[in-house]
Amino acid sequence: MTEATADEILEPMGRPSGKWLAVVGVSGLGLLWFLYAWIVQLRSGLIVTGLGDWGSGGGISWGLYIGTFVWWIGIAHGGIAISAAVRVFKAEQFEPIARIAEVLTVVALMMAATNIVFDLGRPDRLFNTLINWPQTVTHSPLAWDIAVVTLYLVLSVTYLVLTLRPDLHAVRDRVPRYLRPFHRVLTLGYTPDEDEKAEQMAWWLAVTVLALVPLLSGGVVPWLFGLIGTQPGWYGAMTGPSMLAESLTTAIAMVIIVAAAFRYAYDWDFIDEDVFIGLVKVLAFLALATLWMLLHDTLSGVYLAPTAVEALTFALIEMPLFQIALGGLVVSTLYLIAVILRPQLLHVGVLTVVSVVVSFSIFSKKLIFVVEGLLHPTSPPLTNLYLEGSYSPTWIEWTLVLGSIVLAVFMFAIATKLIPMVEIDSEQPTNTTTPTEGNQ
Amino acid sequence: MEQLPETPPGPDDPGWDERVAGTLEEVDFDTDLGKRMAEDAFRIADGELSKAEFHERYTDAVEAEFGVDERPTKSALETRGPERDPLPKVPDDREQTRRNVLKALGGVTAAGAASLAGCVDDTGDSDPPAQGDDDGIIDDIPHETQLGMVIDTDRCIACLQCSEACKQENKTSQGAHWTYVFRWSQDPEADYDDEHDDSMTRPCQHCTDPSCTYVCPTEARFKRDDDGVVLTDYDLCIGCRYCQVACPYGVNYFQWGEPDPPEMADDGIRDSLHKEEAFENDHFEHDRTSRNDRTVAGHPPEGVMGKCTFCVHRQDSGDPDLEGTTACEQACPVDAIHFGDINNPNDDPQQHLEERPDLDRTQLLEETGNDPNIIYVGPQPSRNAQPVQGPQSYENLGMTEHRREAIDDRFTQEGETDD
Repeated sequence: MTEATADEILEPMGRPSGKWLAVVGVSGLGLLWFLYAWIVQLRSGLIVTGLGDWGSGGGISWGLYIGTFVWWIGIAHGGIAISAAVRVFKAEQFEPIARIAEVLTVVALMMAATNIVFDLGRPDRLFNTLINWPQTVTHSPLAWDIAVVTLYLVLSVTYLVLTLRPDLHAVRDRVPRYLRPFHRVLTLGYTPDEDEKAEQMAWWLAVTVLALVPLLSGGVVPWLFGLIGTQPGWYGAMTGPSMLAESLTTAIAMVIIVAAAFRYAYDWDFIDEDVFIGLVKVLAFLALATLWMLLHDTLSGVYLAPTAVEALTFALIEMPLFQIALGGLVVSTLYLIAVILRPQLLHVGVLTVVSVVVSFSIFSKKLIFVVEGLLHPTSPPLTNLYLEGSYSPTWIEWTLVLGSIVLAVFMFAIATKLIPMVEIDSEQPTNTTTPTEGNQ
Repeated sequence: MEQLPETPPGPDDPGWDERVAGTLEEVDFDTDLGKRMAEDAFRIADGELSKAEFHERYTDAVEAEFGVDERPTKSALETRGPERDPLPKVPDDREQTRRNVLKALGGVTAAGAASLAGCVDDTGDSDPPAQGDDDGIIDDIPHETQLGMVIDTDRCIACLQCSEACKQENKTSQGAHWTYVFRWSQDPEADYDDEHDDSMTRPCQHCTDPSCTYVCPTEARFKRDDDGVVLTDYDLCIGCRYCQVACPYGVNYFQWGEPDPPEMADDGIRDSLHKEEAFENDHFEHDRTSRNDRTVAGHPPEGVMGKCTFCVHRQDSGDPDLEGTTACEQACPVDAIHFGDINNPNDDPQQHLEERPDLDRTQLLEETGNDPNIIYVGPQPSRNAQPVQGPQSYENLGMTEHRREAIDDRFTQEGETDD
């Protein structure tokens, strides 16, 4: 395994490279377009979306924004998956990408929340949910969601800062001068004596966040849908497990994409084939789990199923987007299995494309899940008496959703200028401040 | 249905034969069978005959005559359970619809309605205790007030007056129908035909166990303690629309853009005023604040959810002429909507149930467990019912039936002005 040197790790924080400027420039322009679209929506209201009232209205209440919210929540599990692998399960091969994955978690959670804000009719009243939270948490799945997402965000940020402090202290004399006040705030009260305690705390934090995973993508998020008996397309106990499998799949795919991007941008060879082969194994397993869950869902939906469920499942199977998503997932899984059997087939470029396909397939699957349930709502006789729903997202919706991806890229680009994106420890004997047994 | 005399003649009274023969000759079915059944119905009332015996005695004859046997006494034979599909299918016989059977039975009960009223007890709690010839007034039963409606689909003529009146009263936006009229045919192939098609109006069900209040993340959607009305606090709602996806009845209409009541589409007010002012100047003529000081009445402001409020501004007006009424109820030309305290035996809903003991009673989608406070009496849509146009259309009355179309139109306009 190639060791990362402090010079390599600190390189992104120095002079902006051409690639970095290009990323910031393009994503910055994208953000201007995104802001314009958002202002249009804020001024005119949600009428500029393709959403509508289900029932006599013939529309659907939730669409692209909620689907994207669910997708981002899933991606947020990438950080904890890698951190837990490194800290809790001692899979040290993933150490070079641990911090990248943690930053991805924080960014993804913020983008998930942003998509919820897009979806609100009165975003200015967002904090009403917090004011009334003590009462609503007893009954509203959305209040549970707010609780778990907030907890997840707080714990993730704490974990990130806790593991960042020794690094910032170690490189305090080598970072650009303008960053030092910021770093001094983050390392407030730091002494090398705290490292052992901090490492223990990080371990416990990783375990806690790990325990939250089945409560987030396998819990409160699917419960937003799976508990609603009104919507035959949503209701069911399988919603949680299958959404968890999908979420973890897209999380690992996104970790691969981001890791490959950093390797490409900074020639970081220490993010080596070991890292990618390890990720491929995990991704292949998760993609198979997702396909297996899908098999359960579709088979139970077509074989002697209740008529409403059967009609829904056939409508699903006939959707072109569903076929694309399924095809993408199957082809990707075949490639991943091939790489596991013959590691020489690994090509980081191809793997990145495959990961994009996986991530897009899961995005489509989640979007279909949200939309399809609402296109065929409620039960007979009402479902027959109402208009069948229709939905085509407007350019504003596409812009805001893509905007959240562009914003994530932009935030990543900024983060590389603010903090070291790889954990610095034992490979720098002169600066070593964390000689803990756990990491050796 | 014809009004009944206070005390109809019994089999022992003079004039019984003529009356029965006269009534039963109006329908096409066996006069003799009807007469025998009516006489036995009186014996049930007198306690000489059990309902189960009565039911068994005529099972074969009724099936031979009507094709089905769906008399209300059936429950006396069966263990009681919720009826999932109250509409029997009668293969190969389009004439033998549920409605015809009901009309025929109506002929029977016309002869002995007062006594048969005591037999109808298969609807459970909402039913008043058996009264015999009594006028049904019971004053000393304590009950919690729950506003609700009994809607008579047998009377409904699908004229859409309720929808129009609601829109006028609450100034709802184009395509938002707080009370929407379902018009259906049990036979999807048939054109609209009064004999075979039916209709019902669908306001908010003001459920006893409303799923919308459960899911609301701000408690903006709430059920009012003192009268059971389900309302939206327009000052609290964040516009997440979770209530809309959780409601099985599809009664919620979100305010996607600025309030757009059709009447004000061309008056220029919306262009010249800011949103809050537009909300204040929207021609809603009543007080938006309820008696518990929350903004709940009339159409919602932009970005907020709305639905039928049971005309809460009327209930809270302090005006005895308006309290206990709704716009839809008053507009109904055939008196199909009966609004009031559904738990009060003296109020309109239960009074109407007593007047129409012959008709089927159901709540929509009972299986969801929301326990709606709208009780429908008369023909119900079967699981296979298909929508039909009906005798009147929303478009003819200057309304838009499907909100999606109205929203799409406005987005196109907004897009043009923005670009």
